[in-house]
Amino acid sequence: MELLLLAVGTIAVGVLGCMAWFWGSNYVLDAILPPRGPNAGDNIRRAGMIRPWLFLGPAILFLGVYLVYPVLNSIWLSLFNGSSTQFVGGDNYAWLAQDAKFRESMINNFFWLLIVPALATLFGLIAAQLTDRIRWGNFGKSLIFMPMAISFVGAGVIWKFIYEYREPGTEQIGLLNAIWQSLGGTAQTWLTLQPWNNFFLMIVLVWIQTGFAMVILSAALRGIPEETIEAAVLDGATPWQIFFKIKVPQILGTIAVVWTTITITVLKVFDIVFVMTNGQWGTQVLANLMYDWMFRGTPDYGRGSAIAIVLMILVLPIMIWNIRNVRKEMR
Amino acid sequence: MKFPVGEDTTFNWDSLEAFKAAHGDLAGQEVTVLGPWLGGDKDLFESVIPYFEEATGVDVKYSGSDSFEQQIVIDAEAGSPPDVAIFPQPGLAAGLAAKGQLKPLPDEVGTWITENYAAGDSWAKLVTYKGPDGADHVYAFPYKADVKSLVWYVPENLEDAGYEVPETLEDLKALTEQIAADGEKPWCVGLGSGGATGWPATDWVEDMMLRNNPPEDYDAWTTNELKFNDPKVVKAIDDFGWFAKNEDFVAGGVGSVAATDFRDSPKGLFASPPACYLHHAASFITTFFPEGTIVGEDADFFYMPAPADGALGQPVVGGGTLFSVLTDNPAGPAFIEFLQTPIAHEIWMAQQGFLTPHKGVNPEAYQDETVKRMGDVLLNATTFRFDGSDLMPGAIGAGAFWTGMVDFVGGKSAQEAGDAIQATWDALN
Amino acid sequence: MEGMAGRKSTLTWVVNLAALFLVVLWTIPTAGLFVSSFRDRDQIAATGWWKSLTSSQQTAFVRTGNADDQRQDGALYVLDGNVLTEGQELVAWGTSARDPGAYQPGESADVDGATLTVAEDGAYRMESATPFEMRRGERIFVTTSSPPKFTLGNYTRVLTAEGIGRAFMNTLTVTIPATVIPILIAAFAAYALAWMEFPGRALLTAAVVGLLVVPLQVALIPLLRLHNDLNIGKGYLGIWLAHTGFGLPLAIYLLRNYMAGLPREVIESARVDGATEFQIFRKIILPLSFPALASFAIFQFLWVWNDLLVATVFLGNRPEQLVMTGVLRELMGSKGGEWEILATSAFISIAVPLLVFFAMQKYLVRGLLAGSVKGG
Repeated sequence: MELLLLAVGTIAVGVLGCMAWFWGSNYVLDAILPPRGPNAGDNIRRAGMIRPWLFLGPAILFLGVYLVYPVLNSIWLSLFNGSSTQFVGGDNYAWLAQDAKFRESMINNFFWLLIVPALATLFGLIAAQLTDRIRWGNFGKSLIFMPMAISFVGAGVIWKFIYEYREPGTEQIGLLNAIWQSLGGTAQTWLTLQPWNNFFLMIVLVWIQTGFAMVILSAALRGIPEETIEAAVLDGATPWQIFFKIKVPQILGTIAVVWTTITITVLKVFDIVFVMTNGQWGTQVLANLMYDWMFRGTPDYGRGSAIAIVLMILVLPIMIWNIRNVRKEMR
Repeated sequence: MKFPVGEDTTFNWDSLEAFKAAHGDLAGQEVTVLGPWLGGDKDLFESVIPYFEEATGVDVKYSGSDSFEQQIVIDAEAGSPPDVAIFPQPGLAAGLAAKGQLKPLPDEVGTWITENYAAGDSWAKLVTYKGPDGADHVYAFPYKADVKSLVWYVPENLEDAGYEVPETLEDLKALTEQIAADGEKPWCVGLGSGGATGWPATDWVEDMMLRNNPPEDYDAWTTNELKFNDPKVVKAIDDFGWFAKNEDFVAGGVGSVAATDFRDSPKGLFASPPACYLHHAASFITTFFPEGTIVGEDADFFYMPAPADGALGQPVVGGGTLFSVLTDNPAGPAFIEFLQTPIAHEIWMAQQGFLTPHKGVNPEAYQDETVKRMGDVLLNATTFRFDGSDLMPGAIGAGAFWTGMVDFVGGKSAQEAGDAIQATWDALN
Repeated sequence: MEGMAGRKSTLTWVVNLAALFLVVLWTIPTAGLFVSSFRDRDQIAATGWWKSLTSSQQTAFVRTGNADDQRQDGALYVLDGNVLTEGQELVAWGTSARDPGAYQPGESADVDGATLTVAEDGAYRMESATPFEMRRGERIFVTTSSPPKFTLGNYTRVLTAEGIGRAFMNTLTVTIPATVIPILIAAFAAYALAWMEFPGRALLTAAVVGLLVVPLQVALIPLLRLHNDLNIGKGYLGIWLAHTGFGLPLAIYLLRNYMAGLPREVIESARVDGATEFQIFRKIILPLSFPALASFAIFQFLWVWNDLLVATVFLGNRPEQLVMTGVLRELMGSKGGEWEILATSAFISIAVPLLVFFAMQKYLVRGLLAGSVKGG
């Protein structure tokens, strides 16, 4: 009980504190540079230059301390040796360039980035379109969204059971092998089946992220003005044409947002790989490789940080795309 | 308290009294302990703690973490370490010692281990690391041991089929071939362990190393003076492959070896008809036997036999957990001293899953005959060597070695696997 | 239009079936876990969960009594008992592991000079002219068929686990402020990024996207060190701050997209009317954005609720500090492998987030709608 009081108290203090900051700082700003009187014009202009930073202040503080500082720290550490005692310059990066596991991770990550956002968005789009047109749609949506609420580790375990292997010909307790065997196939150890095992891992993330894509895309589909669709129906367009030629182009922007978010999730995801294969059998990905070097056995911060930096550099294209988008919006 | 003080005379209560007399001045202190034990193991460890608390008045706060390795690194680096940490692997402890994050224990502790533990020299060596000053100190105290060189079987299944428990490595191989010739699968082997997949194979390879080479070679191997792709090591890997890479010798076929979870693989022994007759595993595997299995009756073990010529004696590979002090809290070293008393061992021995090389304890305290026999394997070892993969740098012993074994079982040759592991070792800073 | 109607009903059928197919495909894995959470460990390892609904055949062994249990019946020494437990039906039996189904119920077999009979109802009787001397009982292998069996044991075990109540409170204590505070801070920042003109706006927005990708692992050590240096140490304050920091980029990204999609006229006209930016934010933007705020709340709630890593690092993992995920993890023991507990835990910990999801579902849809339609 005390704890909950503490929590409520914190919310109150936090909320009031934030409100006090935003309200107070704005009040002070208006008091110093009043938007009236002889210098009103100048004051409004000057206050307009300061005000955004008052709004952004707490966020920038938090982002700076909790994210930017660790990133700078990693860049610094990536220039040192494993125990951070000796400056080694670019040695860690040079090592990365020739490390076989790193190359394997880059290739795997490339496929993850290609396949997972595409499939999750596609299935999300299909699921959204289908569930929007049926009576039990909301119930169906909830079921497809459910994997989102399961932790990555939980999801990893669920799928480990699906890929479970028993000796060919005996009773299979893994669903995939049971089906495969009933179709006349020989039971396989799916998770060691290179290179397809990567694909079996990706399915897990697609399974999770489809719900996310579906919810957002379904909202976007409902936002399309009815008139455009009715006009197409009157013109005799088939449902396929309506979907691909009328609806999809109108929600391209949303599709891009979904794609971006899932792409970033893919870059960061390591729990699934960690739980299911730990990067063995050729399934290593960057995030798990980084974890290996940072925390496994004798930690090597230098190499671990270098991998983290590479991971962050990979997001640059998405950042540039966003800058262009915001600029377009401002015009 | 699990066992009331002074009641059961199998316990060495005097040692508790003596300890109490020497450490009366710590009352009111608190000591935090961080370790890898959760669930049942945690309850067992916590049954030992009250005796220390009662003797000293210190309040012990144990917390377990399944991501212990990550946790201890973060906590130590960030400057908020626990007072005492329990390392499942010496590699990690050595790493932290080199960074100055462990406090050296008094030199007497090293002498004490040498004198009071069976194969004391190997234990003492295990806990001696280079400090930040580059000088060797004792940084940890080993408490609780595992025996890895065991083969599990169902006695009646062997009897029914007319097989004998093998006395030598040659017999074991002959038995393997015999069972295969009778149309059945002799071995259950499972290397799966989620993020740690591959480690059960390292135990096999270590057993094979010690059965074909003198212990000095084994030591050289763990420090890479003997290269991983040296013919001796390659032969040990191949010896493991002789068992695990033969379609006729393993239940489920070679393809299933790496994919089967080590926790599931012993279940084949208990299937009817049996999926296999033999299973190589450490002493703690009994946790994963089917519910209701009575060890010593439904299942039993034999020592993984040595070659018939006897030139290398009876080597044993084992593991253990290591206790280190990370802060200046005086209660920390006192806790380490407590672990040296026989009573600290006997309390756990009388329960479950605990073996000790401590020569001063009363072996009668072991919960039953089977465990006592396991303890005997430890006490009678002519050569005791710590789990080699735990002695190697983390990137090897908890990384490349595992992966290499998975690849080996997956089809690579022993030479290729050894070369790959050696390449990783060469790339270490 | 007549023809259209016919085509339409076929189409409705196709859509319904296709949707059903997708939903079933997506639900199967979870369903498997759900069924598994009602089975015990040996069952999970023995048969697939989809077979748990039909009666199953199992082969196991039962031990007879040993020498101490024998009694004399006339000239014979007898050991008797029953090999079945309730609900089981005997299919076949045997005396060796290699041939566990050698005999039919009612048949007799020779065992080391004794005669063993197992009747249809599972009653066994082993008779011998000489006294039994074995220390352990003889094994009788029985193939039995038993009806579907489910247990609530896993749930009882998890729900009555030591400290679970305390952990539940801890989790709530962590989750609620860690959900509310980032929303508030992000709302202001998002408004500034969406509707205020200032140099560096695009760059700052992109920076927020860039920060989305920062891996948590690189932040743990420097931040815990910072907390220790600032005397925050490990505790609720620390974990609230940490979750706030880690959750902000997604919050700002989603809220900014939403706010940028709000109708320009409303804001412009308010500005013309002389409203200050603060008034616009409080009186127009906040109420209009409520759906978006709710939608982010769900994501942040899900994330904090399921988190174990941040909690163990910034809160600690002493018994009194454990969160739900920590207690559930502890139940699984040091060597893992207790799948039935894992399955059960997953369903217990999913309950609260699902409740939150259902409660906020309509906001979620509307919340992400406007921002995304504009293409953010």
